[in-house]
Formats: sequence, C-alpha cells, structure tokens
Amino acid sequence: MNLWRPYAKAMLTNSSLWFWSVAFMVFWLAIGAFLESGGVGPQRSEVVAYATSWYAVIVLIGLSLLAAAIAGSFAYGSASLAYAFRYSRLTPSGYLGSIVGGSAVLGLAISVVLLGATAGLFGARFSTALPPVDPLGLLGVSLVGGVFFMALSATLALVAINYLGLRSSNYVGYVPLLLSFVLGNAQVYVVLPRWFVYGSPFNDLTSLLYQGYAGTPATVQLGGSSLSLDWIPLLAGLLVWSALLATCTLFLLRRIRVRQLEEGRQV
Amino acid sequence: MLEIRGLEVTFPGAPSPALRGVELRLDRAKMVVVGANGSGKTTLVRSVLGLVRPTAGSIAVGGRDVGGIHGETGLSTNLGEVYRLMSLPVRDLVRVMALLKGGDPAEMEGRLHEFELDSVRGKRMHELSTGQQKLVGDLFAICFRPNLVLLDEPFDNVDFARRRRLVRLLRELPADILLNTHELDLLGSFDGWGLSLMFEGRLLGPFPVADLDRLYLTRGAAPGALATMDTSLGTFSITRDAGDRPVKSATSLNALVEALA
Repeated sequence: MNLWRPYAKAMLTNSSLWFWSVAFMVFWLAIGAFLESGGVGPQRSEVVAYATSWYAVIVLIGLSLLAAAIAGSFAYGSASLAYAFRYSRLTPSGYLGSIVGGSAVLGLAISVVLLGATAGLFGARFSTALPPVDPLGLLGVSLVGGVFFMALSATLALVAINYLGLRSSNYVGYVPLLLSFVLGNAQVYVVLPRWFVYGSPFNDLTSLLYQGYAGTPATVQLGGSSLSLDWIPLLAGLLVWSALLATCTLFLLRRIRVRQLEEGRQV
Repeated sequence: MLEIRGLEVTFPGAPSPALRGVELRLDRAKMVVVGANGSGKTTLVRSVLGLVRPTAGSIAVGGRDVGGIHGETGLSTNLGEVYRLMSLPVRDLVRVMALLKGGDPAEMEGRLHEFELDSVRGKRMHELSTGQQKLVGDLFAICFRPNLVLLDEPFDNVDFARRRRLVRLLRELPADILLNTHELDLLGSFDGWGLSLMFEGRLLGPFPVADLDRLYLTRGAAPGALATMDTSLGTFSITRDAGDRPVKSATSLNALVEALA
C-alpha cells in the first residue's frame, strides 16, 4: 500500500509550501548575492566558496522548513492514522514510505529551483558563470537530506503528539529549523572539530551539498580552512541518522495517540 | 460481528465515566442507539474505532480485540475525523479511500451523484457545508462493501429528502449497522432493527424498534422492568405497556428523565 502519488499531489498543489520552502529561500539567496557579498572576491575560488556556502545552508533550511510543515500535519490526522492502521490496508511503514516518497518529489523540485536560483543570482552578481559541478549528485544528496529531515521532523512531531501534548508540538516543530540555522551557519563561521562535522547530520548534509556544487571537498570551515572532509563518512553519517530516525518514526507511528486539535491552542 | 463486554471509559480528569459497563453484541443485526447529546454515544463509536482507550472491558470486531486489529477493511464509519489523512479534493480522497479499503472508486462516485453531491467533488472537506461533510462521511461509510458500519448522528444537518434516501440505503445495506442518533422521531423508519437507549454512559436494551410505542419510563425500580438505571437524578425503569411516561413522548431520554425526576 503506497500513497506517495496523492501525497505528492497534495504537496505540489500547496502554495504555502512553495512560498516558504522556495520563494522565501530564493529571497534569502538574493540577500546573500546582492547585499551580503561586499567583501567577497575577486578570486574565482573565493566567489565559488561564498556562493556554495549560501546554497548549502539555504537548502538545509529549505528542507527543514518543508519537513517541519509536513510533519506538523500529523496532529491534524492522528485520528485518521489510528483508524487507517486498524481498519484499512495502510500500514505504518507504508504510510512512512508514502509521506517520504511524496515529500521527495517536492524536495527534488525545491532543490532544482534553488540550484538554478543560486547559479543565476550569484552568477549575475559576480558576472561569471557558476554552474554546479555535479548537479545529479546534488539531487541525490538533496533526496537523502529530504529523507533525513522528514524522519527527524516526524519523530519530533510524534513524540509531541504521543507524550507531550499538542501545545508542545507547536514549539517542537521549530527544532529542526533552529538546528539547521545554527549548525549550518556554524560551519561557515567557526572551525568545527572534524569529528563533530562527521557526527552531525546537519553538517554532513551541508558538506555534501558544498562538494556537489563546488566540485572540491568541503572543509571543517567552509571556504576558511584547509582541513578537508571525506564524502564517504559524510554520506554514511547522513544515512545512519536517517535510518535511525526512520526506525523511531515507525515505532512512534505504531503507537500514535489520538489528539483533538483544539488541545493545541495556546490561549 | 461486534462484541463489547463491560466497557468502561473514563477520560483523564473527568469526574465520572463517559461509558459505564456497556454490553453489546451485534451479529448479523442492525441497531439504533438513542441518547441525548453527551450521553456517550460518540465515545462508544470512537472506542470501537480504536480512537479512545477503554479504562476497563473489551471490544472485539470479528472476534479480534480492537487493540490488536490491523488491516480489517470491513469496518467503516462516517466519523469525519477519520477522513483527514491528507488535504485533497473529494474526488481524490475518494480514490485514496477506495485504495485503502480495496474498493472501486466508481461506487462512491455513483453515490455522490445519487445524492446530488457532484458539486463537492472538486472541493476539499473543510470547504464543504456541515451537511455536505456529514453526507460525504455517511457515503464513505456505506461504500466499498463494509460488513460492519458505525454511524454517528448520520442525519445531522441533512435535508429531509436525502434523509429518506439514506434511510432506504441503510435498510438495504447487507452489513451489521450501529447507528447513533438523538432523534426519536426517526425511529419509525427502522422497523426490524434493535433499539438501545444510552443514558449517562449506560446502554439499556436491546428492545425491538417496533416496541418503541410500548416502552415507558417509570420512576424507581419497577417490578418486572425490562431494564433499570441508577442515574444522578435517581433510579428509573424501562417498562412495557405501562409506566409513568411513554418513551416516545419526549424528544430525548434526558428530557423524559428530567420531567420525571
């Protein structure tokens, strides 16, 4: 039983998801290209490192926004899920596969738009062509990143639904976004320990996106350190985290607790 | 087949149970449960659906405990909250539900047309009127060959002509049906069905619906009573052919009890 097609349709026709995960992110890329780029250049390597760092962090934040919005819908459907797992052919693993499959379609579309926007905006600002070196690799990494964020957001949303209550779920939804913002930017501005980058799925993803776009291995501080990172442990770290969180999601989905939406009101 | 034994549900922080010692067996039968708003009818349905955890007792569907049921496509309901799996127009939701239930979407499409609901196909559930939402839920419940249908207030906000059509469909449906309503004046349509009365979380009965004209509510524990109930307003009995007030004379059982108390 797989519902990824209807989920993909529901997401692709959702203008809010497009606005916040794409239009809002393109806006920030424009800020990076035209307002924050005063001290960059003129060497090409410096321009590439700058544009690529923006791309990597923005994709990280865009995917986390998308996943948080989708996982937030679990609260609206807790009764539907509890019913469907008992009285229909839908299984928790089928549901997880459907929601990940559906969001992967939108995640890929977002990645393509952000890739084009980065190349276009930063290329226009620095009057040079800035095409990604490995666009197919980037789409693959975005796909794995989308699975990771979906599993993380789903786990957090289900912990809130099952154990904390819907009032907490409003706040829990921000956690992936905050971690993305802090850890993504930390790798731009701080020399992080190598073990930390390998162990942090947020930095695994940032580093892999950097390497896919720039064509050179990411460093512990993007564009500011010579200590480079190996893509194999980065990808392995991201996959292990994704698998771990997907397992947690399945465990929690099987025990989903039915909540009344009104419970989530703060006042 | 539905079998409920000693079901008790107490919500956290509630001063009294929502359901108390409910016993019910539905096997190749159709039953109407009549009770006022807040008497526990919806909690009963939600318990069978697995949306409410019982405090005590057991619920079995097709011989299997509800807690361990997976993939039982034969049970369906009109409860709106179970059709919120995703935000899609009704026409797409029909395909999704047909896929989940292993049915043919054309059946539901046909029913929507029969009930003059073609205009809702392009709208999402939250964009429908209250009556349209209720009817779409009712039609989801009876489509895709169910063998046990749980209907919670299926006639609320539904116009008279479509109520009659729905009643005819329910009478002809080859499935066990548990139908909740607070409207006593509709019971005449369900000749041949069982009738249970829900009051303050207790289920009394079953009696044949045809006997409704002969049922009375009597204050106190009457000798030879069909059922007695201890309520917050005292003890009352259901008696046949004689008693203080005919059950059918009131708009709801609550009003009747309050009038007698």
